Amino acid sequence: MNPGSRETPSPLIYLNNAATSWPKPPGVLEEVARCLQLPLCETGRTAGTGSVDYPTAAREALAAFFHAGPHQNFIFTQNATDSLNLLVHGFTKKAGAPFHTITTELEHNSVLRPLHALEQDGAIRLSVVPFRDNVVGLAEIKRAICPETRLVIMTHGSNVLGSVQDIRPIAEYLKANDIFLIVDGAQTSGHIPVDLSDIPVGAFVFTGHKALFGIPGTGGFFLPDPEAIAITRQGGTGTDSRALIHSCEMPERFEAGTQNYPGIASLRAGIGFIVSTGLDEIERKNRDLTRFFIRELKNVPGVTIYNDDPGLPVVSFNIAGIDNHDAGFILARAYNVITRTGLHCAPLVHERIDGGKGCIRASFSYFTTRDECRAAADAIREVAGSADSQVRPD
Amino acid sequence: MKEYVLDEPLTEGFLEFLGNFGMVRSLEQLKKPYFSFEKERFISIKGFTGDNTVEVRYKKEFQDLVADYFHILLFYYRQGKPGIAQMKGIEESMHEKMNVRLGPSKENRP
Repeated sequence: MNPGSRETPSPLIYLNNAATSWPKPPGVLEEVARCLQLPLCETGRTAGTGSVDYPTAAREALAAFFHAGPHQNFIFTQNATDSLNLLVHGFTKKAGAPFHTITTELEHNSVLRPLHALEQDGAIRLSVVPFRDNVVGLAEIKRAICPETRLVIMTHGSNVLGSVQDIRPIAEYLKANDIFLIVDGAQTSGHIPVDLSDIPVGAFVFTGHKALFGIPGTGGFFLPDPEAIAITRQGGTGTDSRALIHSCEMPERFEAGTQNYPGIASLRAGIGFIVSTGLDEIERKNRDLTRFFIRELKNVPGVTIYNDDPGLPVVSFNIAGIDNHDAGFILARAYNVITRTGLHCAPLVHERIDGGKGCIRASFSYFTTRDECRAAADAIREVAGSADSQVRPD
Repeated sequence: MKEYVLDEPLTEGFLEFLGNFGMVRSLEQLKKPYFSFEKERFISIKGFTGDNTVEVRYKKEFQDLVADYFHILLFYYRQGKPGIAQMKGIEESMHEKMNVRLGPSKENRP
């Protein structure tokens, strides 16, 4: 036996949409191509005209989609992680002195790691509140609040449990108590309606490459009060170039350097697809797929589902007797079913649900079919039925 | 992580050979019989018997020392039974290098 290289099998049953959605709507790919077929309309960076001003058009699409404005207060970043870093470090810089911060066990490392870094530096004191029945509610947040609390960061939807937090009462309570709330909407944006005109968040974070159907490298946040966050990134904005101090105007205040035009074009087209399809229709289809998949797996011996009533199209489970990485490998290579295994960058959730070992996550999109869900469930059933592993010790 | 395509399918005999050097787990009832091999501080291998592709993950801690481990396994497998002793010798030498790097604490030794 000698090593060589490998061919990729196809077709795939892609159930990893909570990481990155695939496939993208055809209009998204066409818009990316269209964007690159003409010179970019880079406001302040070109003497040319004629192409689409994608950043402005996408900001307007986002403002309409999330029912929030002005559209200049939608800031583009690389992804949700980038947004959270800008917001967390910007808020801390603005505070100028150590303060108390609250987050939750449901968080992704995009929240946990910046906060722990700040805690190590002595810039914040951190409390992590537990989830109950798969969610974190206002009661848990209230219990953790102390006079020094200035910031709460919490996920809108868990990327492991698929549970959705009722953020409106939390946002209202925190606003009334002058505590800034950053909501991580990476998993919910594009899956369920988010009406920011009705939820008084300090900031709302989204990513483009998941349920909003954009390509990777797109994301951002909505910030109603720009003054709440200090500028931590400076550079060229194409405006007021004589000034050696970075612009305080929105959106330049938080955007330095040339934008990801193809990515922003894809995000706008992705939102266009959702709007034309109808978010209600997308939500209904995802809910049906999720319930169907759970029904298929619920009574399979050896399969443990960690939330059998998720609000998002995310189903996390384990198979008794098989390491989750092994199960994911088998599903991918023997059945062409692509899931995600391990800790899903959310280690604290796993400490609670599976002792920190991790699990297998299947996540759907509008383009997932019932037949694919059935085939995946059949594959999982077959793997679970073969789980009396034989171990040959050395 | 690396994926290799071998010039012949993985056999039950290769799994038996692997069993001399670490933990082999197998799920033989699957439509493609799955196996995994785990050798602490060295490598892990996943694949299917009868298939000619394998996924090999090298342990980060001693990556430079174990980078050729999979190739050496394949080489000594071809030697038959005498290859087991020779492979053990190679392993021992790798262990010694790991121990030198880890220092005197016996707790850390592989």
